[in-house]
Amino acid sequence: MSGRARKKMDPRARWPVPVSQEERRNILNYLSDRFGFPPDLFEPYEFLATSKNYWLFVRTPYLRELTRLRIQTAGLLFLRKVSGYLKPTTAALQRFGHQATRNILELDRYTLDRLRLEKKIPYESDLEPGYVILKCEGRIWGCALYLPGKLISHLP
Amino acid sequence: MAGFETADQYFERYRDIIPDYEGFLSSLSEPLPLYFRLNTLKIRDPEPVLRGLRRQGFEAEPVEAVPWFFRVEPREASLGNTEEYYLGLIYPMTLSSSLPVYALDPRPGELILDLCAAPGSKTTQMAQLTEDRAVIVANDRRLDRITALVANLRRLGVACVVTTVYRGEQYPLEVAFDKVLVDAPCSGEGRYRRGYEGELLYQKEGRTNLSGIQKGLLVRAYDVLKPGGILVYSTCTVNPEENEAVVDYLLRKRQAEVLSWEAPLPSHPGLTEWEGRPFHPDLRKARRFYAHEIGAVGFFVAKLRRIT
Repeated sequence: MSGRARKKMDPRARWPVPVSQEERRNILNYLSDRFGFPPDLFEPYEFLATSKNYWLFVRTPYLRELTRLRIQTAGLLFLRKVSGYLKPTTAALQRFGHQATRNILELDRYTLDRLRLEKKIPYESDLEPGYVILKCEGRIWGCALYLPGKLISHLP
Repeated sequence: MAGFETADQYFERYRDIIPDYEGFLSSLSEPLPLYFRLNTLKIRDPEPVLRGLRRQGFEAEPVEAVPWFFRVEPREASLGNTEEYYLGLIYPMTLSSSLPVYALDPRPGELILDLCAAPGSKTTQMAQLTEDRAVIVANDRRLDRITALVANLRRLGVACVVTTVYRGEQYPLEVAFDKVLVDAPCSGEGRYRRGYEGELLYQKEGRTNLSGIQKGLLVRAYDVLKPGGILVYSTCTVNPEENEAVVDYLLRKRQAEVLSWEAPLPSHPGLTEWEGRPFHPDLRKARRFYAHEIGAVGFFVAKLRRIT
């Protein structure tokens, strides 16, 4: 195998490192406070941590055994730690967003297209400032940041 | 295999094994049908997806025999630019690609290795069938192909997959798996269409010893199985050298048995003889799927069990 192939996708990654019970509680509290995700939604899953990210991975007794392999990625990139805040990934919201009950921003097609194009648009809402779930015509699109007077896209 | 051959000349050696050979030849002039799988991890009701695709000019019909698969027209167009693709609601893949996964029959909680996984059609199908509850290790020898696989895992929202980059023939023996899928690199004869798919891989890579690579992969796949574990070997080629001969090789090298399995599409038994060479009689339990009979890429699937 070439040296290039040996390189990990995220060189800081040490896979897979499950979070402590306390860290898990913090994550679940955040998901429940901010988006109203029921905590038992993530019961079948483990959160794994790297320096800047949390990954969602199916709960399994094989986890330790798997560390014998040289792992590139494990599970779904779920939350990013962004300057002290947790930001859900678009992938996470597209998968689980339908179970959220809070801070869901329903956009019409025109506004969604404009946001995707311009990345940042003027926007007024009575939502709490912070990360929001973008929804349009019944579909979950992903993550954006709402600040008073503006909306910033985090869609890929 | 040197020089240019027409499809008729190329497939002539299969005249006696391909049923309705003339029908097969004439089917090669049709473009391959287009299919997608609905990603039930994100959506279980196909109606909004079908409605959305219709708005973008696609008509899709469910495939009766294979749940969650839809046949799409126009088949020449790409689903890759649709909103449904972007949002990870669909995975375009040929219908017969689902067959190895049906043979493997993945269950929640099982530890499964997909040895040649990229770009991930079968990995994500396994994740979907187990509702994201199996533990799937998706391997490919090339990092660029793993990057494409990881993008698909992210797009579909799959959380039960670990990815690794090893040469399949040298996969580490440290972890023992309940099930292993070897969807081997092959000459791709089953996907050949006149004028649409260009040359056959077999001709393009004339000197590659595909059969040798496939044997190495299959033996290693057996070696990383738990005793009693299940192994599925598949290719999208008609060539017995890449199919029955490879499985026959494993049966001579290791303690394995060929199992019967219930296929959702019309199939034919594996060959027990080719060009005067006999194969293990149990190879008739392997299944051959022909493009003109199933309206998709031709496939070979063998299900095996490790005995000791």
